[in-house]
Amino acid sequence: MTYKVTDEGDTSTVFLDGEIDMDKTEGAKEVIFPLIDAGKNVNLNLSNVQYMDSSGISVLIESHQKALEKGTKLIVKDVSKSVLKVIMMAKLEQILNLE
Amino acid sequence: MNTEVADPTNLSEKKDFLVRSSSLKDVRSFSREVFEKFKIDEDLREELVLAIAEAAQNIVKHAYKDFPDTQDRMAVRITCTGKELEIAFFDKGKPVEESKVKHRAIDDVKPGGLGTFFIQEIMDSIKFKEGDKPWINNLVLTKKL
Repeated sequence: MTYKVTDEGDTSTVFLDGEIDMDKTEGAKEVIFPLIDAGKNVNLNLSNVQYMDSSGISVLIESHQKALEKGTKLIVKDVSKSVLKVIMMAKLEQILNLE
Repeated sequence: MNTEVADPTNLSEKKDFLVRSSSLKDVRSFSREVFEKFKIDEDLREELVLAIAEAAQNIVKHAYKDFPDTQDRMAVRITCTGKELEIAFFDKGKPVEESKVKHRAIDDVKPGGLGTFFIQEIMDSIKFKEGDKPWINNLVLTKKL
């Protein structure tokens, strides 16, 4: 998985790539969590993520909850069809901010 | 990858993997190759890959929780009878206590506890068995096609 981060004002956009599984989640957290801790709104662009398992879903939940605690917002953007299927299986489509 | 073709309507492929998180991508690749070879419906393939990867992840996370540097291997066998798919997992980790295998309440939104839920959602049956030697655990998942 590779990461790219762009900043615009108080919003950072994190572009994740590849397949997000148990082996990749720590790397994803290391990119996302410090941005939320710094008070940034975070757009998580998943357009190039074709596979996500329960570990990846846990990162989305943890990031979402962390953002709520910090008074910022996490938006999950451009979710691929295959990842959306997993998000819906976890019944999170009404919980996460999806765009 | 070992292919057993005793009966053309009963295809079976088996492969073993080192028990660690970095093997999960190899488990997925193996599964995708087999499903393509078995001509499993494309809409179903990625769901099945997810269920297999979650079960393999459970072996790494739970059966080998205290042995992150193990050199043990786990095996995955996919068998297609035409009407049913059977996916069997074999490992030599800590014996599974079936009563402790449960997912979190789905409306209690928190990280973790979803892997087993996904397996239950995707597959038709889940059976934990004692493995024949040298295996300790043998998980068998089935799905009607």
